[in-house]
Amino acid sequence: MEQKDDIILQVRDLSVSYGHIKALREVNLEVRKGEIVVLVGSNGAGKTSIMETILGVNTPDAGQVTFEGRDITKNPVDKNVRGGMTLVPEGRGVFATMSVLDNLLLGAHHELKTAGKKLNFVFESFPVLGVRKNQLAGTLSGGERQMLAIARALMSTPRMIMVDEPSIGLAPIVVNSIFDILVNLNKEGYSILLSEQNVYKALKCAHRGYVLETGRVIKEGRAEDLLNDPAIREAYLGA
Amino acid sequence: MLNIEILIAQIVNGLSLGSIYVLLVTGFNLLLLVAMIIHFSFPVIIVFSIYMSWIVMNLTGSLALGILAAVASAILVNMVSAPIFQHIMRKRGSVDINATMVISMGMGMLITEWTSHAINNGFPISFETEAVDPHGWLRATRAPFIRAGLVSISYSQVLTLLTGIILVAALFWVLYKTKAGRAFRAIAENPDGARLVGIPLLKTGVQSYILTGILGGLTAALMALLLGQASPDLGDQLGHKVLGISIIAGLGNLGGGLVIALLLGIVEAIVQGVFSGGSWSNTVAFLLMLVIVLAKPRGVFGIKL
Repeated sequence: MEQKDDIILQVRDLSVSYGHIKALREVNLEVRKGEIVVLVGSNGAGKTSIMETILGVNTPDAGQVTFEGRDITKNPVDKNVRGGMTLVPEGRGVFATMSVLDNLLLGAHHELKTAGKKLNFVFESFPVLGVRKNQLAGTLSGGERQMLAIARALMSTPRMIMVDEPSIGLAPIVVNSIFDILVNLNKEGYSILLSEQNVYKALKCAHRGYVLETGRVIKEGRAEDLLNDPAIREAYLGA
Repeated sequence: MLNIEILIAQIVNGLSLGSIYVLLVTGFNLLLLVAMIIHFSFPVIIVFSIYMSWIVMNLTGSLALGILAAVASAILVNMVSAPIFQHIMRKRGSVDINATMVISMGMGMLITEWTSHAINNGFPISFETEAVDPHGWLRATRAPFIRAGLVSISYSQVLTLLTGIILVAALFWVLYKTKAGRAFRAIAENPDGARLVGIPLLKTGVQSYILTGILGGLTAALMALLLGQASPDLGDQLGHKVLGISIIAGLGNLGGGLVIALLLGIVEAIVQGVFSGGSWSNTVAFLLMLVIVLAKPRGVFGIKL
């Protein structure tokens, strides 16, 4: 068994509803330090709901979210971002009418004093963003926008990054480079909670995974075990 | 008749009036974009600030205290109304700006009623009396700065224009070069996205109330300088105009609002120069707005909401 202090994020019996619709039912999951954990499931299975609830967007009906040992269930989003977690939203969520630089600085909104150092780091990792820093984000390509969204997340000095559907709407070759970026970030020490419809690719690069169906976790395990699970192969990999 | 000297004089006059419209429209747009309220009584609050400033100057005879009173009361009214607006929005669950319009209207009516009953028996107030302006500074600004034949531009017009330019520049500097401004623009483009990034919506909303309060107070001081007087119905007139400018520029369009506000100021001033007998400037302004809205329902520069 792993040590308890290895766990960076712990979600216990989390239930969320939007009006009368139950979005999450007693979800349990955890992310350990240095892990890539992937949430697998079809549209509406609850992947985005889990991430947004962890971040503090939704108030859960029941359950608890613990981050680095602290109960953060009732924290607002900005407090959680200051506390070391961040979300790269589905559809990137970049601000199209603002410059690339402004978008990045928004990520560091709570600690602008050290933003200069982080900008250098981000421009080293993503040179294309440095070249286009004065361009409006709306003029970037899909892959560049995804890079910008990831870079903006890094600007908040997170220890855990949640990435919601990064491959959506991107060409396959761009998808590969986005996954490479995530794997590299993970090697640098960032813990990553990933949601992805591209199940094969996601499980290939993840350590562990959770399979979601209509707001419930129906299966969990090591990524390679899930990849070899016949039921999962049939449902998500078409094999 | 309109000759070139009168035209130039009226353009200067129009720009000084226009810069006041810019400040009013930008304040209105900011509240719309960042605090998500339709505050068409924002100009009424500014007229309220003019009245407060007049009361203080009447009592103390101090210009500095008068300006301070204008700024303080605009911030105060904004901060007192902020929780009411926020409460309405929270009750509705989601952002529903229609209810905020009713609150704004109510505030506007209360202020207008109060000024028309309680202050100076409802008569227009003047900043050019001995009590308000014991040193005669404001009256001195009525003197011509330049005079050519029948045409003259007064010191007050020039001062308003210069201060207006500085204020508008400072405002756009805050919007485009500061941390708070960046957060304003992010919320304006996509409030949900801004929240996900970690921008505190409530705190930033409150900052927009403070900024528009400061802006409103300084605008009040400028209007007192340019007009030299105020009446209870001034707020409603300006409220209609500001809403009109914002709509024909495109609701929430900051740059568009700036252009249209300046143009409207110039048009009004020129109309005033042509029909010097009566005040047709409002009629022409609203006729123009009507035509433009019919031709461009989403505004000349497009809605940015």
